[in-house]
Formats: sequence, structure tokens, C-alpha cells
Amino acid sequence: MLEINELRKRFAGGSGASAGKIALDGISFTVRPGEMFGFVGANGAGKTTTMRIVMGVLQADSGSVTLRGAPLSPDDRRRFGYMPEERGLYQKMRVAEQIEYFGRLHGMSTTAVTKATDDLLEQLGLTERKNDAVQALSLGNQQRVQLAVALIHDPELLILDEPFSGLDPIAVDALATVLQERCRGGVPVIFSSHQLELVERLCDSVGIVSAGRMVAAGAVADLRAAERNELRVVVRNPAPGWADGLPGTVTVDGDRHTLRTTGGDDQEILRRAVKAGRVEHFGAEQPSLTEIFKEAVA
Amino acid sequence: MNGLMLVARREITTQVRTKGFVIGLLVTAVLVAAVSFAPKVLGGDDSYTLGTVNSQQLPLQAAAPDTKFEWREFPDEGTATQAVLDGDVDAVLVNGAKVLTDGEIDGQLGVLLQSVNREVKLGAAGMSIPPLQMQSVGADTRYESARAGIAVVLVLVLFMLIMGQVMMVAMGVVEEKGSRIVEILLSTVRPWQLLGGKIVGLGALGLINLVTILVVGLGSAMASGIATDFPPGIPGLVAAVLVWFVLGYAFFAALAAAFGSLVSRQEEVGSVLTPLTMLIMITYFVAFYATNDATGTLATVVSYIPPFSSMVMPVRMAATEVPLWQVGASMAAMVLAVLAVLAFGAKIYERAVLRTGARLKLGDVLRTK
Repeated sequence: MLEINELRKRFAGGSGASAGKIALDGISFTVRPGEMFGFVGANGAGKTTTMRIVMGVLQADSGSVTLRGAPLSPDDRRRFGYMPEERGLYQKMRVAEQIEYFGRLHGMSTTAVTKATDDLLEQLGLTERKNDAVQALSLGNQQRVQLAVALIHDPELLILDEPFSGLDPIAVDALATVLQERCRGGVPVIFSSHQLELVERLCDSVGIVSAGRMVAAGAVADLRAAERNELRVVVRNPAPGWADGLPGTVTVDGDRHTLRTTGGDDQEILRRAVKAGRVEHFGAEQPSLTEIFKEAVA
Repeated sequence: MNGLMLVARREITTQVRTKGFVIGLLVTAVLVAAVSFAPKVLGGDDSYTLGTVNSQQLPLQAAAPDTKFEWREFPDEGTATQAVLDGDVDAVLVNGAKVLTDGEIDGQLGVLLQSVNREVKLGAAGMSIPPLQMQSVGADTRYESARAGIAVVLVLVLFMLIMGQVMMVAMGVVEEKGSRIVEILLSTVRPWQLLGGKIVGLGALGLINLVTILVVGLGSAMASGIATDFPPGIPGLVAAVLVWFVLGYAFFAALAAAFGSLVSRQEEVGSVLTPLTMLIMITYFVAFYATNDATGTLATVVSYIPPFSSMVMPVRMAATEVPLWQVGASMAAMVLAVLAVLAFGAKIYERAVLRTGARLKLGDVLRTK
């Protein structure tokens, strides 16, 4: 279990865009074994900074990151897999060599790393490109190599910053499958993304960050339950003024009137709607993650 | 340590495999061999073709045993003049009384002809002059020109190798910083391992280059015969040059890594390194000046001051005899300077290498933590 506790970070003064800015303002969350944790938030909300601190690439001003109750050591971190936001590979190095190099840096033996590289290349469909220089690969394939670099040492935990950005839908599915497999094997996966439908589909839990704080976190279902569900009623050709006195708002599209409300007596609303015209739809709408997100960061 | 060696090994294997490195090494070897043979081929004027018209050949060989003379006979002054103008002969002795040349006569040949001619004439008149005895009361200067030549070549080699490898260090640092590979690397190795590995790896490549130059250079010098002019103590000099290269390279490479880590784009490497390249150039110029005046005060004093000592001391060692204690003292000072610069460079690198974007100011990096 990875616990992120009250992380605070303020970038030092001097030059640069981030100078003097508070990046993290006491962010906390927990990731359990085998959990896929989606990290969402506007640009500059603090996702990347949090991930960098977890990976030990940045130091927090205060707060702690613990694994199974103990502070993270460099050795723990060497067993993590990391994919930074801005992709970094040696452009002139060959694909297989590059993956092997990082495996060796993670402390793997030469034989283990060769085998693991072959397996990964096979899994990611890169076997034929293994001796090509990275710069000769398409962006999608480079991203696969980047993922392989993060996965080579069979990590205990995966931290991926925007792993899906810039991928076509097929590549997204392929990557999602790989991550789900790892996750099912008990590896917690933390990833950030702006593709909220994807996060909703893949993740057990999400954390919504805004201005360096975690504004909502938990299972997607719980977050939904916490929101008041919206009632949506569609009436065809109703009598004018049918919704007068009812809570909520009415939108008109031709002869189709839609009432949205989060309050009021739903049975009373239904009776009024039936009396007014033909009811085409009556039901509670679950908010999408996008709506939860907009609500949370507003 | 393991991380450091892995990083170093990657630097070496990726470089060694590039065409640039292999071609560079071959070109260097050929150039060095050419330079070693050049004195023999260009040869200065230690052979003369001379002609006679109605004259006796002069016994020049006895007077100048190191020089080769070839004689030709011409039937009359007209053909001899034509041969001189065509450049077939350097000079023609006519009737034992005058010498024809194309333009002013070669100084050495002129003096030789005059003095040998005088001696022959005096000998014919029954008079002999005992030759002057030459005795040097100063230092042994037999190897002076060879020593100066070796010093000039050495300092050039050191300068080019150090400059080249130091640029590679800075470019490598920027490559990793700019592409953010450094983030993944630093989640597995410590900054000093990454920096140390890069400096060690590229330094090893520099040493490969240097050893190639020394081996090819000495080998061709022996093959071409100019090695016979070399002063004694060459093996010691070679060993010292290797040590001085390592020290000088370590000093400048640590600074290059620190400066390099301030920028995120390769285009900025040149400008951010300017102070450092200036320092290397100044070191080279001082050392080059020292090849002319290796025993002068400037050379002596500067040969103790890091980082200038890394090139000036080898020059002094090549150009004159330097007492061992002086070499030791100078090396000790340089080692201390290298350690200080490594600590400084590592600190800057560690603080700056993750701060991508605009060029950082050294002062800001030093102030912030």
C-alpha cells in the first residue's frame, strides 16, 4: 500500500515559469495493491510534481510517501516503474539495448534482462524493430518502448504520467490491456490522464487534484454516489407552463421539453409530466466523471 | 558504484560503435604517422646535387658527414648553367674558381664550399690547419630541437583531446536533460553515479584516443628513424602525459557537466560553455608559449597552478629536465583542484539537471536548494 501524506512543495525563486509557485498544498491519497488509480486535474494542478516526488526525482518541502508503512527508500524506488510526462529515450540507441540498459540500472542480471526484453518486445509487438534506433520509430512505437522501459524490471508499482497522450485508439487499447494485466497481477498502477472517459473505464479509484490539493478521491462509484443524482424528464408536446413551480430547469428542443433537477418530489414531477404530455424519458442520470471533475474543481 | 560503471559502459559502447569515433581514430592515427614521417620525407636540405665544369670534386663529405652529396660533370659552362636553371643541380663549380647557382646560394652549402675549397688550396700549398675543437660548457643541448618538437606536438594533442571530450560531456548532459531521460535515470541511480559514469566513460574514450596517438606516434618515429634523435626518458614522459590528460580532463569535464546542466537545448551548449572553452584555450596558449621558453619564469610558475599545470607541466617535462619533486608538487595541487571542481560540479549538476526550460543562472542554482 502506497500512502502519500500531506505533500507540500513550493518551487524556489529565481528564473523559470515555476519560480515561487506553490505546486502542492498538502496532497494526500492512498493506493492499494492491485488498484488502478487515475490521477486527474487541470494542467498545472500538481499531478506531475506529485509523481516526481514519489519517484524521488524531486524533494517535497514537507509530507511523506510511505510504502507498507515505511518511508520510501531509493531501493524501493528502483523497484518502481516510471514513465515521465515528457518522454525520454536515447534517440540513437537501439530499441532492445535501451530497454536492457534500464533493466540493468534497475539491478537485473544480464541473462534476466535479455529474456525480459524479448518477452516485452513480443508483448508490445516490437520484436521486429528490436535492432532499430529509437529515432527511426513512429511516435506510437516510441511510446511503447517508453512503456517497456518502465516495465522491464517487473516493477512492484507503476507510475505513469500521461501514458495515453498522443496515442491512437488502438494503441490506447493495447496499452490499457497491458496495464490491466499488470494490475490484475497485484501491481498498483497510478496514472494521470486528461481522457476522463478512459480513466472512468479503467480505474478503480480516481483522485481529482486542483491547485495542489486533492479535492475528491475514492472509488468512481463512491464519488458518483456522493454527487446528488440528477433527474431528467423528457416530455413531448406538453401543455404550456406545465413545469411551473417545479424545481430545476427546462430546456426546449422543438416540441421536446427536458426538465433537469436535483431536488423536489420525483413522484409529483412524474404526475405533472404525465398530465402535461407524452413522457418519453424519466430517470436518474448518473453524473459522468467529467461532470464530477468539473464540479470538483469549480 | 555498479550504477556508475553501467553508465560509463553505455557511454563507451555507444560511442565506440559510431562511425564518427572509428573514422576519427583512423584519421588521427594516419595524421600522427604522417607527422612522424614528415621530417624524413620533407627532409630539409641534407642532400645536395652538385656539378663540376673542368674542376676537381671537393671533399665535402669529410667536412659534413651527415649530408649526402651527388656529383655530376658537365662538359662546359653553358650546359651547366642550363642544368642550374632547370633545377637539376643546386650548384656547379666552374674551373675550381666560381660557383653557379640559381639565386642566392643555400647558406650552409656556401660556407661549406668556401671553407673546404680554402682547406684544399692550403693543403695543396703544404699548409694544414688543425680543426677547432668544439666544447660545450653549458647544458646538454643535443636534443633541444627534438624536445621542443615533442612538447609542441604533445600540448596540441592534449588540448584537442581535452577540448573534444569535454564538449562530449556537456552535450551528453544536455541530451539527457533535454529529453528528460534524466528523470528515469535519476529514479534508478544517484546523480553522482550518473555524472561520474559519464565522465569516466568519456574519459576512457579519450584515453583510447591518446594511447592510439602515442603508440602510433612512437611506432612511426621508430620506423622512420627519427626516434634516434629523441632524448632519453621518453617512457616516463609518456606515463606522465597519460596522468596529466586524466587530471586535466577530469577538471574541465566536471565544469562542463555543471555548465551543461544549466541549459536544456543542444543549441545552447556552445554559449553556456564559452567561459570554459576560453579557459581551455588560455591554458593551451600559455602551454604553447611555454614550448618556446620552457625554462622561463612564466612557464615555471604556471606549471604549478591548476588547471594550467595540466598542459604546462607536460610541456616543461618534454622540453627540459624537471626534478621529480616539482612534478609531484604540481600533480598534488592539480589533484586537489580536481577534487574541489568535482564536488562543485556535482552540486550544480544535481540541482540544475531536473530544472528544464530556460537557461539557468549559475548564481540562482547556487543560492537555491
